[in-house]
This record gives sequence, structure tokens and C-alpha cells, in this order.
Amino acid sequence: MSSEFDISRNITIGQYVPTGSFIHRLDPRIKLLIFVFLVVAIALNTSYIGNAVGLILSLYLFWASKIPISYGLSGVKPAIPFIIILAVLQLLFQGQLFSGGKVFVDYGFILITSESIRLVIVSAVRFIEIIFLSSVLTLSTSTTELTHSIQSLLSPLKKMNFPVHEISLITTISIRFVPTFAIEMEKMMKAQASRGADFGSGSWWRIIQRTKEMFPIIIPLFNIALARAEDLILAMEARCYTPGGERSTYSVYKAVTKDYLILLVGLLLTLLLLFYPFPI
Amino acid sequence: MTVKPIIEIENLTHTYMKGTPMEHVALKGTNLYVEAGECIAIIGHTGSGKSTLIQHLNGLIRPESGRVVIDGEDLAKKKIDLKTLRRKVGIVFQNPEDQIFEKIIGDDIAYGPFKMGLPLKEVRERVKWAMSVVGLDFEEMKDRQTFALSGGQKRKVALAGILALKPKILVLDEPTAGLDPRSRNELLDKIKRLNKEEKLTVIFVSHNMEEVAMLADRVYVMADGKDVLSGTPKEIFTDKEKLVRHQIGTPETVQVLYRLTDLGYQVRTDAFSITEAADEIMKLFAGRKEGTEHVQRI
Amino acid sequence: MKKSLTVRDIVIAGVLGAVAILLGVTRLGYIPVPTAAGNATIMHIPAIIGGIMQGPVVGLIVGAIFGISSFLNATVPLFKDPMVAILPRLFIGVVAWLVYAGIRRKSEYLAVAVAAFLGTLTNTVLVLTMAVIRHYMTPGVAWTVGVTNGIPEAIVGTIVTLAVVLAWKQIGKNKKSKISQDL
Repeated sequence: MSSEFDISRNITIGQYVPTGSFIHRLDPRIKLLIFVFLVVAIALNTSYIGNAVGLILSLYLFWASKIPISYGLSGVKPAIPFIIILAVLQLLFQGQLFSGGKVFVDYGFILITSESIRLVIVSAVRFIEIIFLSSVLTLSTSTTELTHSIQSLLSPLKKMNFPVHEISLITTISIRFVPTFAIEMEKMMKAQASRGADFGSGSWWRIIQRTKEMFPIIIPLFNIALARAEDLILAMEARCYTPGGERSTYSVYKAVTKDYLILLVGLLLTLLLLFYPFPI
Repeated sequence: MTVKPIIEIENLTHTYMKGTPMEHVALKGTNLYVEAGECIAIIGHTGSGKSTLIQHLNGLIRPESGRVVIDGEDLAKKKIDLKTLRRKVGIVFQNPEDQIFEKIIGDDIAYGPFKMGLPLKEVRERVKWAMSVVGLDFEEMKDRQTFALSGGQKRKVALAGILALKPKILVLDEPTAGLDPRSRNELLDKIKRLNKEEKLTVIFVSHNMEEVAMLADRVYVMADGKDVLSGTPKEIFTDKEKLVRHQIGTPETVQVLYRLTDLGYQVRTDAFSITEAADEIMKLFAGRKEGTEHVQRI
Repeated sequence: MKKSLTVRDIVIAGVLGAVAILLGVTRLGYIPVPTAAGNATIMHIPAIIGGIMQGPVVGLIVGAIFGISSFLNATVPLFKDPMVAILPRLFIGVVAWLVYAGIRRKSEYLAVAVAAFLGTLTNTVLVLTMAVIRHYMTPGVAWTVGVTNGIPEAIVGTIVTLAVVLAWKQIGKNKKSKISQDL
């Protein structure tokens, strides 16, 4: 009912669902690594069998994480119309580019071939695979674990002067400030509405006017963000924070044999999806 | 004061995130009655529902159940004229200086009136009036840049931005939080003047009991989503048993007077304004001989 | 990457990344103007501002945060593809910085405006290019979207970036208040 201004309560970032499954207990670095590998492999795989393997795998992982299925479906459901629209468009217009294979329909500009059907099906399935995979990652790993993992995984790059620790700190700051800014924005929308602002009045085609109507929200948002940044810079410098310094972390991850085994399985699956010549 | 109240809230409830695991009941049947021209303070601990309550006053939150009638208009109706309502009820949020977004002071204060579609002449009059009420010199300040202002001045600009809508009811959420003592006193003075001279109905949320004692005609105490106590500051601050039960803070003057009664001295505990309290204490000294001198030396 | 990041770089990148995420997960990131999509996105603007304020590295990092956030939050197949959602976004802030650094000697105002315009176009063009490469769109559709979406979006992006940067850097012509005009 009061959803008009509800922002802070509706955003979910790093929505951790603790179930205690083995996926939750997996070394987060390994989990992240496998996730990245599998997403790339799935994104590049164009075979039916390959994507079937990917689909079964992602559904299995979701099941194994013991997260209620509703979380996964809530990602897929709103996308169904888009999947259908994309499928229709691809079917109608991509045929000329995918003219290989058997021709089913050849009518005017419409060319439907076995290859263009493959494109349609693989695009849709790939989408579902990635939805479930990323749900498993974000629902079974806390944001702290994720940022630590990024830092730890990138640490070999330190030798090449890649700012690993800095990147990890940036990620932490970003995630930390989203809820803060969301609350500020909700307050700002209410405050500006209280003095007569309404967002989205005025003629639709007057781009400049329409954009300026958002100024009462957008300008304070950036001002608050940058002012917070100044405070934080001051606070960090006052404590003699120096970028690039050697520092230890509070939580240390230690991968055990089981973790390495799972990494090995993940790697093998990735290689399979990437390089195995699936017959169809 | 026999007219119908300008604000009538009866048995109001509100639940955030209804039907989700994050459901949170913020109001559990709150009442609030305010008559035109009154100055009302709402006090209560963080999370007691004060902010949720005041957001109902200009329709930022619509009533879930219960009655909210503002100046004769029932907000439970499906179709209400929110624009008119929000002009009638001006809400000044916490740290309102953040909401200044125009580069020039005059433009920022004029934002609301321009949005109302008023002619330039009228807008200028309103800005002039609002600036004079908050104590900003119109000619000197109207073309100045907003970023160069101090915190206290920014808050005045933000307040003027609301006043330029010419509201009948002014609602302020912790208006003095974070201000230095001088700006604080100045702002309290302006609020008092708006209430007494411009006849605005004022409702303010505060954690500062001195402010409450100084400004409010009546006080509402909120706890756990309900109004648990209401009355004049005198009634509230002298009911020791209830103060303790609801963990309400009191002005320092009241604390001193209570301590004195506990120690067996005869003082009136309802004398919470600073001058009255001082008089009470002076009376004690007057009972002895050199006491008065001692106080004067302080 | 020879030059190491300063405290300022780190904090500004982090905070702008937070704004990018926030704009992405709420409707604040869309401005309802006439485009093929029905609105213009402003979620990429933190990356442009990062590039303008702190240079290419910060611009790239903010762009990456925007990209990853848009990938993880995507509800449409097009952006659930990391090649479309993440890769193109890395260039937004870098392009903005290049343009800004090239022009700023002439005019700060102009430099910010052109950097925002081209930074926004970078986003549109690269995303659409990837969409074509990954077969989500045909070149014809991409061109149509590019023109109908890209141009209004670039205008919106320029206006917003100018307003934010000029307000923050406290530059601007010393105008008089609107209410100071003669009646």
C-alpha cells in the first residue's frame, strides 16, 4: 500500500540464506572460482547435450544447497515473458545468420532452420542455468565471504602490482554503503514529495524537463555519497591507512581435501562443457 | 478551543513489509488529536513509531487500518488530493539540509511554490516571507550559492523551503538534532514564533526534554507503536511513577527538583522551566541566611 | 598498472560503486523519457563520474561493479550473459576519462559534457554490439534500438552528469536566482 516510497526495504543484496548445506560450508574461494568457470563455460557452450548437462548441474547444485526452490523460481518467473519475446524474435529474424542445418520454413524473409532453433532453445536454457547458478552463489555465500574470496583469489596478481587488496576494499565499501544510501534515498523521496515534487509529470517527450524532474533525488544522492566519501577518506587517513601496505585478515580460509576434490570436479565439468565435441 | 480538531488519528496501525518474513509492526493502534494552533511534542524511544506516525500526516504513508482525518479530510478514502494535502501539512524531515539541490538559495526555497504553479510575483512574495520568518535576509541571501552555507543556515533554508508552501500544519522530525547550541536556540525561537504569531499548528518529534518543556502545549508519549501517555508538559513531567514506567527522560531542571525532594527539601517538582526551577531553589536558600549570596556567586 | 591507488581513489570508487548498485536495483536508475525501452538508464553515470573525478582505473572499477551488479540482478536473458552485462561496462569510465582529459584544458564544462555524452554512447554501442555478437538481436534491431534509445539516453546522461559534477565541484556560472528576474 505504501510501496510508493519503499526502497530500502525492497532491495536485496547478498541475500544469505543459511541452511548449513555442504555448499554453504564449501571454501568460498573455491565456490567463487567454480562459479566463474561454469558461467563462462555455459555462456560459450552451444550444444543441446552440453546445455542439458549444465541445466542438470545447476539444478542439482541448487537442490544440494537446500535453499527453498521459491528463491530460484522468483528469478525465473518475471523473465518468462522476456524469454518468450526473445525466442520469437530470434526465430523470426536470426534465421539468415543461422542458415546451417535443415531448413524447416523458408517464407519471405523468415528462415527457420535447425540451427536457428538451436539458438532459441540454447539461449533460453542458458539463461535458466545462469539464474540458478548465481542464486546458489549469492544465497549460500555471505557478502563478507565473497569479498574475502575475491581478495584471496586475486592475491597471486599482487606480484604484478595489481591492487588486489584495494579492489577488495572497494568491493567492501560498495556493498556496505548500498543499504545506507537506500535509506537516505527513501527519506529524500519523501522529503521532496513533501515539498511538492512529483516524479514523472510533465510531457513525456520533453527529455530535458523530465530529467530535471529527477534532480531533487539524483543530485542529493550523489552529494550525500560524495560527502560520505570525504568523511571516510578523512577517517582512514587519520588512522594512517596506506594503500598497498601488507596486512593480515581476521578470517583465514583453509581449503581441505574435500574442497580441492570439488574444485577438481568443477574444473573437469568446465573443460567438458568447453571442449568436449557433443554430438548434438 | 471547542472547534473540531485539525488532526484526528484513531486506532491507527501500520505494518512494514506485510506478508513477508521481514514483516514489522510499527504502529499498533495509535491515537493523536491536535487542535488548530496547538504545539504538540511527540516523544518516545527509537523504534516506538514516531516517524511512521508523522508520515501519515501528509499521506506519505496511507492508513492501513484506523482513522486519519486531517483538516476534515479522511485519508482512508481511495482518492485524496495528495498535492493539496502536502501543501497543507509541511513535513520537515531529519537533517533537511540534505534535500537542498538547487545551486542558489532563492531557487531552492522557490522550488515548492513553482511546483504549485504560482506566478512569479506570488512565488517571490512567499520566498521573501519564508526567508524573513527563518531569519535570512532576502536581498542579501537570495542569490547566494547554497553550498557555501553553514549547517545551521542550510537548515534554515530547508525550513524556508517548506514554509514557502504556506502550510497550516508544520511537522518537524527532530528539528534541532546535530545543530550547535546557538543555531538550536535560534531555530526553537523561530518555531515558537511560527506557532504563536503565524498561528501554525506545530507538531514536533524530539529527544530533547528541555525543548519539549519549552515549546510544547501538550506532549504525546509513544512506546511500542502506541500512544501511552499524553498531557501538558506539567502533567507528564510531574507523574514520577509513569515517567519511570515508560522510561521517559525529563528536563534536567525536573531531575534536580526530584533529587531535592528525595533529599527531603520542599520544592515544587512541576517548576521545570529554568527560571521557575531557579526560583524554587532560591527559595530553599532564602530559608537559610547566607544562601542567596552563595547562589549569586555561581 | 604502475600507479597505485590512493585512499581517495579507493573510497570514491567504493561509494560510486554503491550508487551504481543502488540505481540498478531500484527504479531510481531509470528516467522515464521516450526511448524504445520506455525509459533512459542512468545507472552507468557513476562510472562516468568515477572516470572524470579519479581517472581511468577508478572509472574501470566502478564500471565493473555496475556490470557485475547488473549481471547478478538481471531478469532478462540479454543481461544474464556476462559478455553483454559486464564486458562493455568496463569501458564506460575509461572513455569518459580519455575524453575529459583531452578537452578539460579548453573548458571544464565542455569536457564534462562531452565525456558524459560519449561515455553513455560507449555503454549503448558496446552493449548492442555484444548483443548482436551473442545473437540476442539482429544488426537491424540493434541499429534501431541504438538510435531510439542511445540518443535520448546520451542526452539524459549528459544533463545528469553535468548537474552532479558541477554541483560537487562547485563550478558554475554565477547566475541569479530565478526569483530575481524582473516581473
